Amino acid sequence: MPTLGELVARVSFLAAMPAVAGVIITAGILVVNREWRLNVIALTVQYFFVVLLLTRMIRLEVAAVKGLIGWLICMVFYMTERRASAISQAQESETAAVPERWRRWVLSARASFFLLAGLLISVAAYTAALRMPLPEVPTDITLACYILIGLGLLQIGLGEQPMQVGLGLLTFVSGVDLFYVALEPSLAVAGLLGAASFLIALATAYLRTAQVTATQEGGAA
Amino acid sequence: MIAGPLLLLVLPLVMAGVVYLVLRWHTLAALLAVGTAAVLGIAVIYLPVDEAVAVAGGRQVAMGETVSFMGRELILEQADQIGMAYLFFASAVLFLLAWRFTPGSLLFPLGLGLLGLLGGALLIRPLIYAALLLEIAAALAVFALQVEGRPPTRGGLRYLTFTTMALPGLMVTHWLLERYAVTPDETGLLTAAAILLSVSFAMLLGTVPFHAWVSSVIDDGMPLAGAFVLTVSNGTIWFLLLDFLETYPWLQGHALFGPVLSAAGLVMVVFGGLLAAGRRRLGPLVGYASLVDSGAALIALGMSSSVGVTLAIFSLLVRPIGLILLASGLSGLRERSGGSDQIEDIQGLGWKAPWSTAALILGTMSVAGWPISAGFVARWALGRELMAHSPTTALLLLLAGVAVMMGMWRGLSALLTRPRESKDRSVFSGVSSEGWVTAVVVIAAMLVCVGIGLFPQGLASVAVSLAGGAFLP
Repeated sequence: MPTLGELVARVSFLAAMPAVAGVIITAGILVVNREWRLNVIALTVQYFFVVLLLTRMIRLEVAAVKGLIGWLICMVFYMTERRASAISQAQESETAAVPERWRRWVLSARASFFLLAGLLISVAAYTAALRMPLPEVPTDITLACYILIGLGLLQIGLGEQPMQVGLGLLTFVSGVDLFYVALEPSLAVAGLLGAASFLIALATAYLRTAQVTATQEGGAA
Repeated sequence: MIAGPLLLLVLPLVMAGVVYLVLRWHTLAALLAVGTAAVLGIAVIYLPVDEAVAVAGGRQVAMGETVSFMGRELILEQADQIGMAYLFFASAVLFLLAWRFTPGSLLFPLGLGLLGLLGGALLIRPLIYAALLLEIAAALAVFALQVEGRPPTRGGLRYLTFTTMALPGLMVTHWLLERYAVTPDETGLLTAAAILLSVSFAMLLGTVPFHAWVSSVIDDGMPLAGAFVLTVSNGTIWFLLLDFLETYPWLQGHALFGPVLSAAGLVMVVFGGLLAAGRRRLGPLVGYASLVDSGAALIALGMSSSVGVTLAIFSLLVRPIGLILLASGLSGLRERSGGSDQIEDIQGLGWKAPWSTAALILGTMSVAGWPISAGFVARWALGRELMAHSPTTALLLLLAGVAVMMGMWRGLSALLTRPRESKDRSVFSGVSSEGWVTAVVVIAAMLVCVGIGLFPQGLASVAVSLAGGAFLP
């Protein structure tokens, strides 16, 4: 059975611009999309690419632990949304007709606006990466940091629902983490940042549950 | 031998677990929380930092002993004693009132857990780790802020968002300052650090335009949990800011330090006053009143003098009692109006919930800086000091206090609308649904508030010694 090091070595060719491209695409999906399944997948893949980039700056084991925390967060979101979705579907079947499935995939005016805003932020991040490179960090990782921070902030600003804001916060923290490990690659910071990310995810999931419960009680009343 | 910092951080966390287990027994849970916070507050004040002392059971406690946590140092210095005592005593008063107004809430266990984290933020060195502990505390506070059965709290989410956004600035500042120590001719590092530090603290303190969370933590969250955030958590931020100023004295010496702080404080005062006067709901009013109070403290700090620092610390020390009373009153009134605090929904409630109404009035007076409350002494001293240097600022500060009271006046006139039947008008009849224990607790808290207002010498001398001994270069 291959070791962790061998597994990472096999995909190390992705740990430069391909990983940055992956980060841009997944962060973009999180901004534009409101379908929870796709968002959870995008976040999972985003953590994979962030871990790949991290392996260039810190020890593989530490990067792997950060990845594990990220994937645990995805699991928390998956379980929360799955339960919320089941409750919402039950309510919709009682009250109104289920919306047609294809509608989810049509790019609405809202999504078009978010896409445009996301593109603007990406262009700004690219310019910032060229003009204001972050210290101690290679240019491609600087771009990934700016993209994650910028799109995370955009998502926080545009999001109204707890889950959207939570995803934005986690994207933002990933960007900060990617930059800060280059400045201080200490285990204490890694551990505390991991704990903070996990608690952000739990708080978000708690608020999402409260949202569903309140809607359920409102519907019952 | 037990190291003091370990006791101060671990005991609240352990007690948080115990309180959570007994949460269904409301009184027991509340009294355990009050007792833990009060005992730790007394221990911080009375146990000496420079020597080990024997406590119950013959165990020795060394408050000043350094503890290593994940390779970092936790130290209780003399300057931190007041900060830690502030956290514990403010929490004890808050838990006591929460016992009567939000019994059985998650605030008790989470509040104790937050005390451990916030205490850790004050004691850990270097200060960068404090930023991470604050972030964790903000995420935990969301659980306490959420009201059961209500839509998700926007205030909690906003508070978490602004704390997260402040995180990178504080973390990078530490690195910039370390690098500046190695290459002192790169003055650009200092400028970058000053800008990052200012923006980060502006977000954490809720200065305009980063104030969105201040009004909403109480507006749609649990009022007493909101008061915890605005007093205990916010107090920690203030003590950290003072720690930063002590550690990096060049910040206070910067030409823009005073003017920027004064301008930020003045904008908060004016903005908070204007918005408070126009509110038709009590929840946001509390947030805007708090904005005025924080603005006043920033103006004091911006004076860049020993008197200014003393007044900022004094204002910080008297703030909790007013805000906690205000939040308790709001909590009691919301409970009796089905969760609403609209003017239309609280008509005549003052006759049914007289103690909540009394707490609300005195709390507002204190936060607005009106006599004879605790907040008055700090605001009056600041006003007098400002009259000599900047009369316009003093006038605006006074007007902001009036505006806050105007906002409350509308609520008060609704609360005191006379019920039609005379039997409903007596405060002393069986109409009051609050009970005598609530009355005793509220009266005790109000006496503390008025007592500080009439005899401020004790707290004032603490502020003077703290400002002179620790935070002035």
